[in-house]
Formats: sequence, structure tokens, C-alpha cells
Amino acid sequence: MTDPRGRGLKSRVIVCLDVKDGRVVKGTNFVGLRDMGDPVELAARYEAEGADEICFLDISASRESRGTLLDMVRRTAEVLFVPLTVGGGVRTVDDIGPLLRAGADKISVNSAAVRDPSVIVEGSRRFGAQCIVASIDAAREGNGWIHYTHGGKTRTDKDAVQWAHELAEKGAGEILLTSIDRDGVRTGYDLELTRAVVDAVDVPVIASGGAGDASHLRDAFTEGHASAALLAGILHDGLTTVGELKSALDGWGIDVR
Amino acid sequence: MDIALFDYGVGNLHSLGKALEEGGATVHVTNDWAEALSRDALVLPGVGAFSAAVEALPEDRSPLHDAMEAGLPTLGICLGMQLLFDSSEEGMGEGIGAIPGRVRRIRATIVPQMGWNVVEHTDDPIFDGIDGLTAYYANSFVCEPDDPAHAIGWSRYEDDRFACVVRNGSVWGAQFHPEKSSTLGRKMISNFLAEVGRRMAEAEGTADPGVSNPAATAETAAPSPEVTP
Repeated sequence: MTDPRGRGLKSRVIVCLDVKDGRVVKGTNFVGLRDMGDPVELAARYEAEGADEICFLDISASRESRGTLLDMVRRTAEVLFVPLTVGGGVRTVDDIGPLLRAGADKISVNSAAVRDPSVIVEGSRRFGAQCIVASIDAAREGNGWIHYTHGGKTRTDKDAVQWAHELAEKGAGEILLTSIDRDGVRTGYDLELTRAVVDAVDVPVIASGGAGDASHLRDAFTEGHASAALLAGILHDGLTTVGELKSALDGWGIDVR
Repeated sequence: MDIALFDYGVGNLHSLGKALEEGGATVHVTNDWAEALSRDALVLPGVGAFSAAVEALPEDRSPLHDAMEAGLPTLGICLGMQLLFDSSEEGMGEGIGAIPGRVRRIRATIVPQMGWNVVEHTDDPIFDGIDGLTAYYANSFVCEPDDPAHAIGWSRYEDDRFACVVRNGSVWGAQFHPEKSSTLGRKMISNFLAEVGRRMAEAEGTADPGVSNPAATAETAAPSPEVTP
């Protein structure tokens, strides 16, 4: 059973694109990045395949690349007619406005919220909770999970589940929950982590990290109770398509668009 | 056809602007109400926080209310739809009052309602050619029209069945985001434009266009700040 809370909504499939200097890239641990193409074209193609949302994660290191990102978001918003989330490099609440103006519907924030949670509070107050996505990168440690920042490289002392709860209380409209342990491994989402966070918050949770096939998405919805499942690698590698995933999910009785 | 797209100063107007342009409209992004009311139709977008949008309303709401009552085709989206009502539980003062009723918090455990939901609807022209609409929502509040006849579309989230599309005369409101609801959402936007066109043609056929369409003369007035999306 999918989460009875939130019933009525379709289970969402979100496609994530890592972008750097205006291009979609792919690589492990940010080394050996491979150019995968034009973000505008790819975003439109995934919408046509049935993606419910698109997420750009900007992994450019420099502030100078910010202009490139805004331009890319602007061009994407003109051809994309499903929601677009943009994450990466949001440092203060003042970084949010320009991204929304450029055409993003939601902004995802990770490291900045740890440094200063007011980015969530103030962002939500100024722009509405519906466009503030709090991103959590969690790694298993002992009986729980610890929250990491800076692309999973910097450990915090925060319990990931507790932190998710705090961020939702502070005004985040959605939680993007990535399992660092599962990221890129393709053995399935961390269902225990997903369910723990879903049960701790009253905002939608997006499961991320570990998708290898359609059954993993199914489990994220039925066992993890996620509102949405985010994936990247298996689509970019051409192993499957959004359409194939959705028809498999539909066959299992999951309500998809 | 000239459409005013009102800009509260925050949020994404690109997709909506583009969807309107693709429907054949010339889009004028403006934060000037006098200009907004002088165009062939007005679109109130659905982005940003409610308080920011209410602050953008003129203190005297009557010119907006009167223009809409007199037949200015208007489309309010999400928060833009909520502004069309009398009042809101969010307590930020009065709305435009073009549709009698109030805005209340959605009754659900997971809020905001974030995602795609099925829309049941009447055969209003705004739904022409649309079959099996599933639309994208991102909202914590919903509208409750006093007159049930003003509701022309409904969705159900958890146990809350709410009016998601409303109409009063030439004023439409949608709680979801047509501009984010893929192909069928864009069809709804082009249906709105078709209605605007039909009304313009009617007005020209039945009256002196200079009188029935103040937009024609307002063009020569001092230009208002304008941003192209």
C-alpha cells in the first residue's frame, strides 16, 4: 500500500539531471565527467516520455557559473511544461529569488540550511513553502542515519530523520531524501530510511539514490511510502525509459500519471 | 490579442508566458494595475507567497472587481485564483471579490498538496477537447465559492473534495497549474484564449469597438514598465 496520507495524488517519477557549466554531465564522485548533452533538450525529452517533474542539480563549483545556470533555467522553462526543481549552490535566501525568476518552480537547499536554517524559514515566508525543497543526504551509521552536506562529503552531527522533521517545521514544503549508501549502486532505495523520514514529517518526501529497476520505484512507494521517486543513472544509460517504468508501476497497481 | 500577465515580483512567469504566447497571445508582463486592466484579458499567475500577492493588490480593489464584473476575461491560477475570492483564512485582508466565497486551508495530513491529481469537470468551454485531465498542484489552501454553480471542476485530496476550477461570467480560476500540467494544461490555456477571442469578436460585432474595448485607446497612454518573459 502506498501511504494512505496524501491519497488522491499520483505517485510521481522525477528525473534528475546533473548539470555543470550549462551541460548535463555524468560521472562518479565528480571525476571523469562525461558530457551527456543539452539540458534543455533532455528536459523536454523526459517530459515527453512522461516524467512528472525534472530536477537540475548544479554541480558547478564556481560562483561565475551562476549566470550560465540562470540562462539554462530560463531556456528550459520556456519549453518545459512540468515542474522544474533546481538545486546546488544555493547559499543564502537571496540566491532563491533569481532562480525562481529565471523559471524554476522549486529550489532545493542542503548545506545552506545547516549553516543557517533561516534560509528555509525566510525562503518559505517570502516565496511560499511549495517552492522550498529541503535536501537531505543521509548515510547509515549505527542504528540511524547521519546528515551530510557538500555533495555527501561533509559529515554533520545531525540525525537525518530528526533534521528532516526540523526542516519541515521550519517551512520546507517537501523533503528530497538521498541515501548516500545507495547512490549509484542500483540495488534499490533505502526503504527503512525513507519510511522513517516519511513517518517523521507531514510534507511530501522524495526518495532518491539506488534506483536500478521499476521494482525499486514500486517499493519506494509501497514500503517507503514516498510521494515521489527520483532517478537518473538508469535513464541516462538508456537501460529503461520513464514510459517503461510507469507502465510497470501501473501493472503493479501503483497510481501513476 | 494582448494579454496582461500580472507580476507580483516573485516567482516563475516563463512557462505561463510561453504557454500564452504559443496560444497566439502577445504577453505584457506588468505590475501596473491600470495597464493590466487595459488589455484584452488579464492573467493572475500562481507563484509566490500569498502575502506578497495581496500586498501587490491596489488598496482600492473596486477597479479590479468592476472591470471583471463588466466582462474583462480573467484567468487566475492557484494563488491568483485565491485572490479572486472575498477573503482568506490566511487573514491577509480582502481579495478582489470577483467570485463570492472564501479561501480556506486544505483539510489533509500531508500539506502542501504537491503533485498530480485527477480533475472532474463540467463541459465548460475552458475544457474543450480535454478528456481525462490530471493536473499539477502545489497548494496549501483551496477556494470555497458561496454559489456551487460557480464551481466547474473538482478534485479530491485525502478526504477533502474541493472546487479546483471556478467560473463567474468572464472570470475563471484554476487551483492547479495549467502551465505545469503538460499537454492538457496548455490546452486549457489555449481554450481560455479562444474564449477571449470569441468575446472580442462579439464585442466588435455588437458595439462601437472604441467604447466596448478600452484597451484600443489605452495603447496610446503613457507606457507602463514592461518586462518580456
